[in-house]
Amino acid sequence: MAAANQLSALLNNMYATGLLDEQFQQLQMLQDASAPDFVSEVVTLFCQDGERIIGELAKLLEKPSVDFDRVDAFVHQLKGSSASVGAQKVKNTCIQFREFCQSRSKDGCLKTLDSVRTEFYDLRGKFQTMLQLERQIQGFYPK
Amino acid sequence: MRPEERNGAVRRVRDQFPVGMRVLAVDDDPVCLKVLETLLRRCQYHVTTTNQAVIALRMLRENRDLFDLVISDVHMPDMDGFKLLELVGLEMDLPVIMLSVNGETKTVMKGITHGACDYLLKPVRLEELRNIWQHVVRRKFSNRERANVDGYEECNRPSNADFDNVLDQTCGSPDQSGRPSKKRKEYYSEEEDEGEESNSQENDDSSAPKKPRVVWSVELHRKFVAAVNQLGIDKAVPKRILELMNVEKLTRENVASHLQKYRLYLKRLSAVASHQASIVAALGGSDPFMHMSAFEGLQSYQGFTSSAALSSFSPQGLLTRNNPTSFGIQGMAASRPIQIASVNSTISHSIGDTNKYQLSLPGTSNRPGNLAQGLKATSVGQVQLPQKWIQEETHDLSTIISGNGLVNGVPGALRSVADSPLLQQDLVERRQANIVIRRSSSANSEHLEGTTGVSSCLMDSHISQQSGLLLSAFSASAVPMNGSFSGTNVAKLGATSSGSTNICPSHDLRVARDNDVGDSSFGSVILLPPDTAQNQKYLNFGGGSSARHNMDGGNADTLLDAKLAWSSLPTSQPPSTIGSHHPLSQRPNNGSLGVKMIEQTRASIAAPQTKFDMFISGDILTPKNARDLSFPRLNSELSSSSCSFDGLLNSIIKMEKDDASFSDDLGCDFYSLGACI
Repeated sequence: MAAANQLSALLNNMYATGLLDEQFQQLQMLQDASAPDFVSEVVTLFCQDGERIIGELAKLLEKPSVDFDRVDAFVHQLKGSSASVGAQKVKNTCIQFREFCQSRSKDGCLKTLDSVRTEFYDLRGKFQTMLQLERQIQGFYPK
Repeated sequence: MRPEERNGAVRRVRDQFPVGMRVLAVDDDPVCLKVLETLLRRCQYHVTTTNQAVIALRMLRENRDLFDLVISDVHMPDMDGFKLLELVGLEMDLPVIMLSVNGETKTVMKGITHGACDYLLKPVRLEELRNIWQHVVRRKFSNRERANVDGYEECNRPSNADFDNVLDQTCGSPDQSGRPSKKRKEYYSEEEDEGEESNSQENDDSSAPKKPRVVWSVELHRKFVAAVNQLGIDKAVPKRILELMNVEKLTRENVASHLQKYRLYLKRLSAVASHQASIVAALGGSDPFMHMSAFEGLQSYQGFTSSAALSSFSPQGLLTRNNPTSFGIQGMAASRPIQIASVNSTISHSIGDTNKYQLSLPGTSNRPGNLAQGLKATSVGQVQLPQKWIQEETHDLSTIISGNGLVNGVPGALRSVADSPLLQQDLVERRQANIVIRRSSSANSEHLEGTTGVSSCLMDSHISQQSGLLLSAFSASAVPMNGSFSGTNVAKLGATSSGSTNICPSHDLRVARDNDVGDSSFGSVILLPPDTAQNQKYLNFGGGSSARHNMDGGNADTLLDAKLAWSSLPTSQPPSTIGSHHPLSQRPNNGSLGVKMIEQTRASIAAPQTKFDMFISGDILTPKNARDLSFPRLNSELSSSSCSFDGLLNSIIKMEKDDASFSDDLGCDFYSLGACI
């Protein structure tokens, strides 16, 4: 069961590095016969939506006069969705991000946007690997 | 959402509540919404989701009977979650749970003060959602309580009983007043009992509009709120609001209806806030709701003092200016036994309020351990109070109830009263005691001091005989300063009572209570109407020499405005030459003042208790009577009567002793209250 081992190792690593927290375990527990693809659905949504939000943030912060309220709203949303999937690191960075928003620090925002982006893509890569592995496993063990 | 599924599913599971509870989940974030939906489904609720608040609102408006509960994110681009919350609270009677990743106290406070029944933090956990059905039940019960005081006890039955049965039950107990329960909401109202009961009260109106409905858009509502705020909630009448709003096609009726709902909404806010009392109380702030918080704190305090009744006590305080609130505060300040008595009588109401609720008092007999009963049993037994009814603007039954509890403690004092033959006779003669609750003018209310005047009246003319009796009894019981006061006066007081009528009528609500209640409340009239900061202070702290000046002004106006009269009453206290600090000394003077008042204004005279903000309005015709009313005696009596009250009294007394701290507290309270308003 190479795929299963890999998956388990990957997840362990994600927990160990603080990429994920126990909320993700909650999601896994929610996946059952009534919602067989729940985790992958949520993760996929998160990846799509996170990317969109980061794109919006980048656009907003490019402007000469930044609408910090809008930035804050997006960051808030990202914080909410990352909290919902248990993306701990992204969520924590969002908290910093919001502080910069509130202090109207464009530089701070840009800096944290970079970290958010880095962390998000890191996580997204791992999520994608995870989903791939799960598909493999499901291939072996059809529902 | 799968509507076709819903009906069948609901029917199938309805007897397994909360399984199948219909929840509308609103979140703009797809990830959160997905997770939330799955969590809710895991709880076996019936979930409908939308990612837009406006859609949610539309769904709710179109199918208001299809949902039991709303869970909404706070931050949404199309409509702020708070706005949704407010509109839902305004238009339909659904519990709303707010959801946010932001757990800042300020934000949570905002949610709660806007009427959220709960505020959950993301990520939400299954354990939390498993429990949210309680809000649905709670809302149903609180509706009942508001609707039907008589059913108060019944409504308190364990909520884990079979849900449908409980809800379907009419909480109304055998109702002596003959008033059927006014509101009754069926859990699945669309499926059963249609037309069985007409929705006669405003709450139900909100969910069953009878006329073409104006859709109160956010914008429209904002104008409305602005207009109301400009006018002041007490003075806001539909016509003026309409003028201020200046919106075409809007009719006075629309505004009136909306105003009614808005008031209910505010009421609910305060009710909700009560659940958060401790939290709110801890936080001071300029937020309008803070004033509520202070209120809550007070209420809880009251609860403390009046133990028994409070258990079922649900603060349904209305507007920020709940009288009860101020009352409670004052009570704290007063820290005297008398206050407790006064508590009984306090009812909160807004003068301007168009809504008048007639609430049948909880039949004293209905409730176990009723004050009234206690009273009857003890001294008042001779007196029979055939009619019991209370008209309250506000739903603050709770207050009344708590008051009753307090009253129970008093029996000793009452007995003493009874002992004096004269009094007994009088009592016997008078059967009905009406308590008139007065609303302070809007100005007063703004100061937070809604004046609550409760005068127990016998006969048609509201005569506060009983109160007078009580007072006399107290005086008889030899308290310091007693010498000047003679027990005989008491009887006179009863006779004199007529004066009160004049005053009370002015605006507002009269609450006719059981005689028992009236009896129980020593000072039948409680006035907390400080027009000015000075007055307030005075009331709270005891006489200030400056009070006199106010008094004069007050007298002049009294004829015209009852409120003024009230305010003048407080001022009257100062005149007493005796140490201002000493309540007793002031009392006698008060009596004289009261007399003056009567002469000039015919207003009922309230015997102001120096430290207590409460005035006993013995409607006193003659100066003598007023003197007789000396409260100090009452106080002493109360303390002496200790009995079960000992605990309360002691605590109260303690409070009194600590004048400095006390005053400080009051200041704070007033400040916050005033700020909020």
